[in-house]
Amino acid sequence: MKHFSEDDLIAYQLHESSDESAIHRHLEECKDCAALSESIAETLRVFSAEPFPQPDLEHNWQRLRGNLSVLTPEHPSRLSILRWHWAWPAIGLVAAALIVMAGVGLHLHHEQRTKLHLALDNHAINGHGPLTTQPTDPAIADHLDAAERLLTEVNNSQGSLDQTTREQAHTLLLKNAVYVHTARDSGDVAEAAVLENLGRVLTTLDNEPPTERSAWRLRLEMNTNGLLLDIRILRQNDDDKNQGAAQ
Amino acid sequence: MSNRRMDRAETEAIREVLGGNRDAYRVLMDRHFSSVARVAFRITGNKEDAEEAAQEAFLRAYNKLPTFRQDSAFSTWITRIAMNTSINLVERRKRDLSYHAPRIADEPSAADGTVRVADGHASPEGALLSLEAATLRHEAMAGLTPMERAAFTLRHMEEIPMTEIATALNITVNSAKQAVFRAVGKLRRSLAPVAGGLR
Repeated sequence: MKHFSEDDLIAYQLHESSDESAIHRHLEECKDCAALSESIAETLRVFSAEPFPQPDLEHNWQRLRGNLSVLTPEHPSRLSILRWHWAWPAIGLVAAALIVMAGVGLHLHHEQRTKLHLALDNHAINGHGPLTTQPTDPAIADHLDAAERLLTEVNNSQGSLDQTTREQAHTLLLKNAVYVHTARDSGDVAEAAVLENLGRVLTTLDNEPPTERSAWRLRLEMNTNGLLLDIRILRQNDDDKNQGAAQ
Repeated sequence: MSNRRMDRAETEAIREVLGGNRDAYRVLMDRHFSSVARVAFRITGNKEDAEEAAQEAFLRAYNKLPTFRQDSAFSTWITRIAMNTSINLVERRKRDLSYHAPRIADEPSAADGTVRVADGHASPEGALLSLEAATLRHEAMAGLTPMERAAFTLRHMEEIPMTEIATALNITVNSAKQAVFRAVGKLRRSLAPVAGGLR
């Protein structure tokens, strides 16, 4: 008597088998295969679909909307660009002049621009504009990754926060100050804003008394201002997998 | 996850979004966020991660909307993206050994939005048994790779055809089947010591 393999019987139970009738006949005769098949069926019953908690659409929309940039129609086609061939020399001259002027301007006003950036409010994040900046420094990416994990853990845990979590927050807080400074210096207002927001939460985490109430307040703050999502967006890289999925 | 063509309302919403009206995206979100979050929930195993993954998927879809070819349904496209963001999230969680977030059945609590797998009206003994069973299920699921978990839950719980799962996960149909079979085999063996005690 030819027995069927476990994969054959799993396929049978999932109605993926191409030989269902033959397996069915065999199971009526073979106790061993019938027992294995029943064990598979029992496993599938145990792991049947669990109830899905409905998400709060309004809440999710509000969190998402703040990070949606205003899209513009598709770029003009290549042919329409080529129609401007007669203008390329003039465009080149103008571009060269602009580059020279911009270089001089940057040189003369570098300090003023830096101060201006420092004085700007956090306006590029969550609710006020698109988040388009991605960290190019691997150290900052690692920092954001660690922060995301910590905040997710805090967000999903219950009760007061343990000592290990608070120590991690303290370490991240020290590093965060450096990265805020770096982001400001490089003029990356969006990244600086996220890091400053992160710094505030980490400071709370580091200094608040270890009570359940303070931990609850911290989670509320994180969820209200969408910090976790901001960090994730900032940290995420457009990996090939998702590029492929989007096509 | 159907392969139906997009209806006029969705086509119009996309046209408006591409024209600069980001609020029009709400139409697509209202229609598909729940189903996308449900798929993400099957893969991630908890509500918080599911909503994070679904949000990330909608954000990615929005940013790639100018390149979206409308010869397939938006629902198909966004679900595929959500599967990938969910798997990525699970992989990140698995990498982080310090991550111990409460899962579906560890501590069901309506106040915290965690999932109540156990019967809320059961007796204390029944509730304890349900909690224990749910914990065993969670531990068994944790033994699967993200790909196995995704393929299994989508096929068995969402009843999505293998061909669509394979396309979404960017693998062959045979690989998708093998992932499901491996998952069922692992789950069966992990429950074998307590077989008969889980209902």
